[in-house]
Amino acid sequence: MKKQYIALLIVGLFLLGFPAVVHSSYYQHLLIITFIWVIIGSSWNLLAGYTGQVSFGHAIFFGIGAYTAGILATKLGISAWWGMLLGGFVSMAIALFVGWVCFRLRGPYFALATLAGGEIFRLIATNWESLTDGMVGILIITTFKSKLPYYYLSLGLAAACIFAIHLIMKSKWGYYFVSIREDQDAAESLGINTSLYKNISLLVSAFFTGLAGAFYMNYMGFIDPEVVFSLHYISIMAILVGIVGGVATIMGPAVGALVMVGLQETFRSSFFGLAPSWVSQGHALVFGLLVIFVIMFLANGIVGDWGKIKRYVFRRKVFRV
Amino acid sequence: MKKSKMLLGFACLLTLCFAFGPSQAMAADSVKVGIVLPLTGSMAKFGEIENQSFKMALEEINAAGGINGKKLELLIEDTTGRPDVGRSVVEKLITKDKVVMIGGGYSSSVTYGAAGVCQQNQMPFLVNTGSADKITSSGWDYVYRLNPPVSKYASAVESLMTEVVKPKTVAILHENSLFGSKGAKSFSKTCGKLGIKVVLKEGYEHGGIDYKPVLSKIKQLNPDIVYMISYIMDASLLMKQAKEMKLTPKLFVGGAAGFTLPEFKTNAGVASDKVISATLWHQILPFPGAMDYYNKFKSRYHKSVDYHGAEAYAACYVIADVLKRAKSFKNTDIKAALDETDMMTVFGPVKFVTWGKLKNQNKADTYVVQWIEGNLELVWPANLATKPLVYPVDWLKTWGY
Repeated sequence: MKKQYIALLIVGLFLLGFPAVVHSSYYQHLLIITFIWVIIGSSWNLLAGYTGQVSFGHAIFFGIGAYTAGILATKLGISAWWGMLLGGFVSMAIALFVGWVCFRLRGPYFALATLAGGEIFRLIATNWESLTDGMVGILIITTFKSKLPYYYLSLGLAAACIFAIHLIMKSKWGYYFVSIREDQDAAESLGINTSLYKNISLLVSAFFTGLAGAFYMNYMGFIDPEVVFSLHYISIMAILVGIVGGVATIMGPAVGALVMVGLQETFRSSFFGLAPSWVSQGHALVFGLLVIFVIMFLANGIVGDWGKIKRYVFRRKVFRV
Repeated sequence: MKKSKMLLGFACLLTLCFAFGPSQAMAADSVKVGIVLPLTGSMAKFGEIENQSFKMALEEINAAGGINGKKLELLIEDTTGRPDVGRSVVEKLITKDKVVMIGGGYSSSVTYGAAGVCQQNQMPFLVNTGSADKITSSGWDYVYRLNPPVSKYASAVESLMTEVVKPKTVAILHENSLFGSKGAKSFSKTCGKLGIKVVLKEGYEHGGIDYKPVLSKIKQLNPDIVYMISYIMDASLLMKQAKEMKLTPKLFVGGAAGFTLPEFKTNAGVASDKVISATLWHQILPFPGAMDYYNKFKSRYHKSVDYHGAEAYAACYVIADVLKRAKSFKNTDIKAALDETDMMTVFGPVKFVTWGKLKNQNKADTYVVQWIEGNLELVWPANLATKPLVYPVDWLKTWGY
């Protein structure tokens, strides 16, 4: 138990001191993107991993958060930082509606409903030009040129998100969530108000995802419907981050985010310019292979199956599937 | 115990990830320019043509002595066709690679997003393809553009319509992208001005494969002209499906982009025949080196090249010219050199001026091409034409029904 805290402290100190050692804003940028994915992945994990409601539509909340901040800034002239606070809450309001519609369905039907929901919101953002400017997108001039404020803010948000989920999972709510995942009918028969707790899980998840979206608007300064409501690049990526890192583990999405962002950038830049450029064409293929590998050999993700990895790597014992 | 190891592993992974990227060896005697293009993703075909043209021009420039004795070095980065990636890439080029200026810029959305970063960092950006008006009408003084804005793409088509076709009705189809929706808007405005009725204006989703619902709507409305603003696969599919449905307006008109690529002919086959398109360039134009460039490209890459390639090739020469004239490689000096640009390229004369709402915008003419027996022929303006416009077209005969 003690060792765990020491390790956490080391990682924490490392991340806090990182910008002082590595001045290149490029690497700081990569870590900021990673932190954003830690938040989205962890939120997705709370709903899908712990509560068992697999969402294919987390782009809804990400996009709503981003658009809240963006529209406030461009239409009303209110600083996008206020929009960031509001982004989480507007996401929650939308989540209430999404939950009201989608929680009538279970299992794969719930997943399909959220998938459709994501596409609906993308189309709304594309076609409601008077509000969202459609495909022109929203461009704001970012507040800081330096990466440092964004770095520490996103680090803080990611840490707060992980800590909040950790607390929730230690509390009564956490047990309710897990019981719903394991057997919704049994939970219901024990007197747990399953639809209430499913909605609570969704609201918390939507709040953090919306916050991440609004932060993204503040940080990147540009969004359009294809960027923030993307099925492929947000909703599916959220699932990949969760699965690769480890579903229903506290630190899983953090590891998943690091691996996925790292891989994506490594391939996009053809191994930082060291490999021939055709390598970058392979990035979708490698993602696919990675997912197959994880599902076949590490069904619980990197964190969930850490014991297996350790045995294989450190003791050189071949593990069986 | 178990968890602590896990966290240690996490820390190791992190350091590993960042140990990866040692800054590339810096050649002191080279001038670095960043080029942002979509090398992967759905717009990769356009990126490929521009990439090849940039490389051709680069070799020629360096063989001729480079930038006042220094070698010109292009760092060509992949934007994957997404604006968010485009922005990160530009940021990386500025802060990590320390380039002196940025070029490239394909597709309006990516270019618009990237241009914002350049302006904020006061990094000169020479756009050569991204065409939404907004890119040069946002008041950004570090953003320059070689190609005309999308609202001018159809100006040659406009004169062709008023002088030859004289249509009464037109249907407009466009991809739901910044380029597509803005192009459609300005074309329908043009039609309104000319007294042509727009019977349908509809956007479709990127990546779609079935356009028959909207095409059958058009068939019922029976417009004189079908105007389409599309990228590559959608352009071919639209024409193929129009052929299958025997949709026969007086003319099919493409709004550049996908309709001028050689791949359009390969993919759409006979359905591409007699389709006309707006274009920004043709090898026959009387610009020095235009035909040479076309032939060199053809013999080297075994395919023909359209205006996208010419834009990239010309942009590379403009970049070299600017850097040669710049007093130093400081951003303000490069900007001053860009302001004074006045040169001839394969793409035509290049000079960045401010007109209307547009800033630092090159004035370039537009033309109309038609696919005739597998070749892209310049048909308008008539005094430059390589072949006369085939009009009216008997579509059913053309398609072999």
